[in-house]
Amino acid sequence: MNPANIAVFAVVIGSIVLFGTATIMALGWAFRDGQFDNFEQGAASIFGPDEPIGEPTDAFPR
Amino acid sequence: MSTATAILPHDRERAAAERAGIDESCRGPVLYFAASAIFWLLAGSILAIIASVKLHSPYFLTGIPELTFGRVRMAHLQGVSIGWTSMVTMGGSVWMMCRLCRTELIYPKLLYVSATLWNIGTLLSISGILLGDGQSIEWLDAPRYCPPFFIAGLGIVSAWVAATFRRRREKHVYVTQWYILAAVFWFPWLYTVAVFMISWSPATGVVQPIVNWWFNHNFLGLWLTPVAVGTAYYLIPKIIGRPVHSYYLSITGFWALALFYSWAGMHHLIGGPIPAWLATASTVGSMMMFIPVIAVGINHHMTMRNHFHRLKYSPALRFTVFGSITYTWVSFQGSIESLKDFSEVAHFTHYTVAHAHLGAYGFVTMIFFGLYYYMIPRLTGREWASSTLIRIHFWCASIGITIYFVGLSIGGWWQGRMLNNPDVSFASITQYLLPYLFSRTVAGILLTIGHIAFATSFLMNLAGWGKKRAGGPTYFVEKAPTV
Repeated sequence: MNPANIAVFAVVIGSIVLFGTATIMALGWAFRDGQFDNFEQGAASIFGPDEPIGEPTDAFPR
Repeated sequence: MSTATAILPHDRERAAAERAGIDESCRGPVLYFAASAIFWLLAGSILAIIASVKLHSPYFLTGIPELTFGRVRMAHLQGVSIGWTSMVTMGGSVWMMCRLCRTELIYPKLLYVSATLWNIGTLLSISGILLGDGQSIEWLDAPRYCPPFFIAGLGIVSAWVAATFRRRREKHVYVTQWYILAAVFWFPWLYTVAVFMISWSPATGVVQPIVNWWFNHNFLGLWLTPVAVGTAYYLIPKIIGRPVHSYYLSITGFWALALFYSWAGMHHLIGGPIPAWLATASTVGSMMMFIPVIAVGINHHMTMRNHFHRLKYSPALRFTVFGSITYTWVSFQGSIESLKDFSEVAHFTHYTVAHAHLGAYGFVTMIFFGLYYYMIPRLTGREWASSTLIRIHFWCASIGITIYFVGLSIGGWWQGRMLNNPDVSFASITQYLLPYLFSRTVAGILLTIGHIAFATSFLMNLAGWGKKRAGGPTYFVEKAPTV
């Protein structure tokens, strides 16, 4: 195997390891942190007192 | 959970002030990204029309080597993919991440550096291609001196998104944040590895097209798609004031996309000299994409259920819902296209071009237009100045992409049927395609008219022509009924 092929091989394997590890770590963190515990609350997290559920927030200009 | 009936005025004012402060912190850099993106959209549109006209009128602009079809088409692709969609992706990600994390943007000046690096890279890419420095590698056709600008610019944006996430005050990670975090992690890795294996330490033989199409497909799937779908998951519930139908389904859709999309690129090489198992695995990955797509499709449709009348009142919703519906359609179509029997006809024809434009424009770009119509007034503090311009934009964009898709899909399918028939001469196939190629130019002109209306609206907003925002929504035809 010439140096160029070794470099390509290292990039591919290294990327798979890095990518896979990061994905598993992210999923593990999400479970530990309780991100998947209360879906209803999660869905409502983008609303606030200024833009509450039940109020539309965009319209054509007059 | 906040509902309209049980909110004290003091709480509402405090929350509004916090949101306004977050928007204020993002204003400069995000508007810089947004303005740059529109500039590249217009440049890309002009290049697209030139390329399209040349397909049915080959003597158009002959004698100018910089404007030969091969160069103009590559330059168009760089303008719209690197210039337009990528800059919206970056600017929009920063803004949505700050809002969803409920935290102000830190060190905004460094994002000006990022956008400037990206603009320099895009300018060098387009001008370099027109001057003959293109690499003849689809999607990675930017000259070899461009990638450092993109990698540096992208690195800053990724770091800023991560830093914003670290400083978040909202504990819950909304599904849009998952999509954005994934995109800013995936794409720098994807781009750097692809450039390394294509330009800096070139893979040889059949590995090169494999890397090439792995990158190309994932550019849409792991960069534009996550941010566009994430944008729809933010905008649709926010605009209609209703939480997403099934949050469980939205999270399932995200992880299914993370698992399966990156397999799909090799279906572009079906029929090519790649190992059979690679193409087959890619076909399997493409079929598995039905899971996240159905999840997103059901979720968006059910969230909008009983709220479709709001399409009349909200420009952002109109574009976003158009893009969301197209996402379902284009993804189903893409999965079917990965089947070998289907590829025997559709592959290497205009059918694929139609599909690519339906994805990049009908889905991604339409959702990004929706993002602009929602985001810009909140950044500038001004409403859009002209509803007529918005309507021109919407109808030109939606009719234009429909003509484009229908014309090239029909023409491309019959092109594939005829190419498989040895009794049909190549010259007669070329002649047969002329009306379809002409429809493509008509569609391109319509889309460009829409883009001019859009750019005019944007400039008018920046110039302060729109009404000052009072903090709440404003209505166009009549006040929309509350839920």
